[in-house]
Amino acid sequence: MAQSGLSALCLLPVATAWTLETMAKKAHISIPMLMVLPSLLLATGIIGYPILDLAWTSMQEVSRFGKLQGFVGWENFAEVFGDPLFYASLWRTGIWTGAVVAGTLLISMPVAMILNDDFYGRGLARVLVMLPWSISLTMTAVVWRWALNGRSGLLNATLMQMGVINEPIEWLAEASTAFTVEILVGILVSIPFTTTILLGGLSSMPQDAYEAAVVDGATGWHQFRYITLPLMKPFINIAIVLNVIYVFNSLPIIWVMTEGGPANGTDILVTYLYKLAFRFGQLGKASAISLIMFGVLLVFTLLYVVLLSRNEADAAPEDEVKGHDE
Amino acid sequence: MSSVTIRGVKKRYGAMPILHGIDLEIRDQEFVVLVGPSGCGKSTLLRMIAGLETVSSGDILIGERVINDVPPKSRDIAMVFQNYALYPHMSVYENMSFSLRLRRQAKEIIDRKVREAAEILNLTKFLDRSPRQLSGGQRQRVAMGRALVRDAEVFLFDEPLSNLDAKLRVVMRTEIKALHQRLKTTSVYVTHDQIEAMTMADRIVVMNAGRIEQIGTPLELYDTPANLFVADFIGSPSMNVIRGVLGAEAGRAFVELPDGARLFVPAMASGKPGQKVVFGARPEHCALAQGDAGVAVQVEVVEPTGANIQVYTKLAGAPFCAIFTERHDFRPGQTIRLDFPANKIHLFDAETGARL
Amino acid sequence: MMSKAKRSILYWIILAPLVVVILFPFAVMFVTAVRPRDELFVYPPTWGFSEFRWENFAEMWVKTNFGGALLNSLYVSITATSAALILSIPAAYAMSRYRFAGKGLYKNFLLMTQMMSPIVLVLGLFRLMMTLGLVNDLNSLVITYAAFNMAFTIWMLQSYFNSIPRDLEEAAWMDGASHLTSLIRIFLPLAVPAIVVTAIFTFINSWNEFVLALTMMRSSEDFTLPVQIYSQVAGRYQVEWHHVMAGTVLATVPVAILFSWLQRYLIRGMALGAVK
Repeated sequence: MAQSGLSALCLLPVATAWTLETMAKKAHISIPMLMVLPSLLLATGIIGYPILDLAWTSMQEVSRFGKLQGFVGWENFAEVFGDPLFYASLWRTGIWTGAVVAGTLLISMPVAMILNDDFYGRGLARVLVMLPWSISLTMTAVVWRWALNGRSGLLNATLMQMGVINEPIEWLAEASTAFTVEILVGILVSIPFTTTILLGGLSSMPQDAYEAAVVDGATGWHQFRYITLPLMKPFINIAIVLNVIYVFNSLPIIWVMTEGGPANGTDILVTYLYKLAFRFGQLGKASAISLIMFGVLLVFTLLYVVLLSRNEADAAPEDEVKGHDE
Repeated sequence: MSSVTIRGVKKRYGAMPILHGIDLEIRDQEFVVLVGPSGCGKSTLLRMIAGLETVSSGDILIGERVINDVPPKSRDIAMVFQNYALYPHMSVYENMSFSLRLRRQAKEIIDRKVREAAEILNLTKFLDRSPRQLSGGQRQRVAMGRALVRDAEVFLFDEPLSNLDAKLRVVMRTEIKALHQRLKTTSVYVTHDQIEAMTMADRIVVMNAGRIEQIGTPLELYDTPANLFVADFIGSPSMNVIRGVLGAEAGRAFVELPDGARLFVPAMASGKPGQKVVFGARPEHCALAQGDAGVAVQVEVVEPTGANIQVYTKLAGAPFCAIFTERHDFRPGQTIRLDFPANKIHLFDAETGARL
Repeated sequence: MMSKAKRSILYWIILAPLVVVILFPFAVMFVTAVRPRDELFVYPPTWGFSEFRWENFAEMWVKTNFGGALLNSLYVSITATSAALILSIPAAYAMSRYRFAGKGLYKNFLLMTQMMSPIVLVLGLFRLMMTLGLVNDLNSLVITYAAFNMAFTIWMLQSYFNSIPRDLEEAAWMDGASHLTSLIRIFLPLAVPAIVVTAIFTFINSWNEFVLALTMMRSSEDFTLPVQIYSQVAGRYQVEWHHVMAGTVLATVPVAILFSWLQRYLIRGMALGAVK
C-alpha cells in the first residue's frame, strides 16, 4: 500500500523531468543540470539568502522589532568582542564541543567494535544503542529535566534507593553540575550517529587482513593498533568533524534543560545568540554572532570537504576502472 | 539481419582519445569477435554500435542506414550484457517478453516466441522464477533468451561469459556458436579471451590501444599474424619471440642472437642483412633437432599435461617454451637442441613490429 | 578464540551500563506518565507509585491540545518530506547517472548546506519569513525543512541509485524502451525501497525539529509537538509533569519503533554513501 502510494508520488518528479527535457532542448542547458536546478534553487533561497541577509544586518543598527536603522559598519562586531558574556559563552562552547565529541568517540569506538562482531542478541543491541537517535533532542532534554529534578527527580530516587546518596542533589540548580550533566546527555545522544559511521567503516574492513595478521602472530591489541586503527582513521576523522559541527550547533539540550542559566552559567554561543535575538531583541549583535559562527562552521566544513576528497583520492583507482568501463 | 559498417569512427572522452579511427565491415550473417586487452576500446566500440555511447566522428551503418543519431531503442539491436542486466523485479518470462510487450505485440505471439526461445535454451522449467533464483549459467541463458525473442537485425555480446566458471564458459561458448549457426543473425562479440575469439569467430578483429591491429579468420591470425602484438596475443601459450640481427652466409639466411647463436631461417622475406628483427616460433611448432642441427636450450621446468609436455627453457638468456605431443623424459638442467620447421617461422621488424 | 556464548556474555556486560542509561529516560517517561498527579512531588523521591492512571493520557490530550499539535506535526512532516523528495529524486538521479559540468561543485554546495544548522541562520530565516509573510504559517516550516533535509535526501538517494546497475536501463533501451519508459518500468520499481527509507528518515528529522518551529510558530495553535511539549515546561511555575511525560510517550514511541525497524538501512546507506 505505502509502496504503491509512494511510487505514484515518484511519478511527479519524472513528469517534471520530462517537461524539463523539452525545455532543456530550447534553452541549450543539459538535462542533468535541469534535474538538479529545482533543488539548487530551494537550497540557495533558504540557506544562501539568509546568510547574505545576516551579513547585511550585522552592519546595521537594528531596532527591537527588526527595523534596520542605518549602516554602522563594524560596530556590532565591536560590541560582541567587548562583551564578557560572549567570551564566557565562547569558552563554554569550546568545552561543550570538545568534551561531548571526545566522550562520544571514546564510548562509540568500543561499542561499534562490539556491534560489528558476531554475538547473541546483536540485533537487539544495535536497536538499543541507536534508540536515542530516533527521539528528538527536545523530548530527551524534557525527560532529563524532569529526571534530574532536584526534589523528586527519578535520578535522585534511583541513587537514594540504591543508597548512593542520602540527600537529593539539585542537579540543575548549580551551573557546574548542570553543565556537566548536559555534557553527559550530549554524549548520550551523539553515540548512535557516531557508532553508525564507525560501524560503516568497520564493516568495510578487509577480513583477510585480520586473518593474515593472526597468521603473522598478532595479538588482539596488535590487530587493533596496527590494522583497525589505521584503516579506521578516515572514518574517525569524519566522525570527529561531523560531530564537532553538530555539537557546536546544538541548541535543544541546554536550552530545554537550563536555558543557559542559572545566571548565564551554562550559556554557549547558540543559546546566547538565541537569547540576544529573540529575548533581548539585540538583533544587530545577534547577526554579528551568527556571522562569526558561520565563519567557524565554514572552516570545519572545508576541513570536512578536504577529508572527504582525500578519502576519495585514496579510492580513486577503483573509480577509474568503473568510469571507463573497460 | 543486416551488415554493420563502421567508417572512420573515433571516440574521445573530453580530450582523451579512446578510438583513433576504426574501419570495419561486418557482413550479413557473420559472427565477428572483437578481442584485445582491457582498455583497448573494444567495449566502447560495441556500445557505440548499440547506441549507448555517442560517436565523436565517423559513421556507423546498419545495412544502408547511418545510425549515429538513432536512439538505441530504434536500432533494432539486441544485446547480451556482461552482468546479464536481468530485470530483478521481473520473472524470467517477463524478462524475455519485455521487449515484445513494449512493441505491443499480440499476447499469443509473445507467448509463442518466449516459449520457443525458452525451448531452445532449456529454460522452459524456469519461466516463472525470478532471476535471483537462477544459477549463473541459467541467468546467462535468460540474457540470451531476451535477445533471441526479438528477431533483431544484429546481436551484440559484451563479454557475456566472463562471469561464468571455466567449465561452464566452454559449454556456453559452444551453445552460442551452435545458436548462431542455426539463426545466422549478424553478431558482434566482445571478449578479452583469445580462445573464445578463436573458437567462436568467423572473423576476429584484434584491437589494441584504440586501433585495429589485424582483421582475419582465426587461422589467418594464427598462421600469419600481421605484427608482434597479434602474434603475442593469439595462441596459448604465447609465441616465443627473440630479438636478433638478420644475417646471411653462403646463401643461407639466419638470425644471430645476442649470444652469437644462429637460428637459420628459410629466407629473409623483405628483410636486409644487418636489420634488427624479432624471431618468432610457436611452442607447438618446436621439434627436437637431430645431431647438432638447431639451437641448444637449457631445460628449466617440465610440465606434463597428459596430452602433451610443456618444456620451459632458456634460449640466449630469454625464456623459451616448447610443447611436444610425444612423451620425452626431460630433466631440469638438461640441454636439448630445438629445430623449427621452415614454414612455421615468423619474422618481425624489431622497430615497427610488422611482419617481414 | 572465545566461544560465541562467552563472547556474548562479555559483550552484554560491557554494554550494560550504556543500555541502562539509554533506557533510563524511557522508564522515567512511562513511570511518570501513568502516575497519579499527587504522587509526582513526593519526598523522598521514589520509583514506586500506588496505581496506573491511564486516564492521564486522555486528560493530557484534551488539556494540552495534543491533537492539534499532532496534526500540525503530521502536516509539516509529510508535506516537507514530499517536497524534499520531489526535488531530490531528479537531482539524485542526475548525480548518479550523468556526468555534467558543475557536478562536483554542486556536491560540495550540498555538503555546505548540510553543515549549516538552522540555529546559525535562524535570525536570517526569521527575517526572510517575515518578509514572505509566513511567520505563524506552518508552510514556513515546510519550506525550511525541505531545504535543510535536501542534502541528506539527495546524498542517501544517490548512494542507493548508484547501487542499481546502470546496465539494467541500458538493457531496457536495447529492448526498445524510451528513457521515460525505462525510468518508470525499470528504474523506479527498483528505487522504491530506497525512496521509502529516505522518506521515513526525512519524516523523522522534520518530526523532531525544534529550533525553527520554536522561532517561526508564535501562537500556541500552530505549535508542532516538540514546541508544544517544551511550552508546557518552559517558564512555568508549576509543570504538570505527568501530562508532559504522557505527551512525550505518545510523540516519541511510534517514531522510535519506526526508527528501530529501519536503522539497519541507515547504517547501510552510511556505509554506501557517507564516507566513500
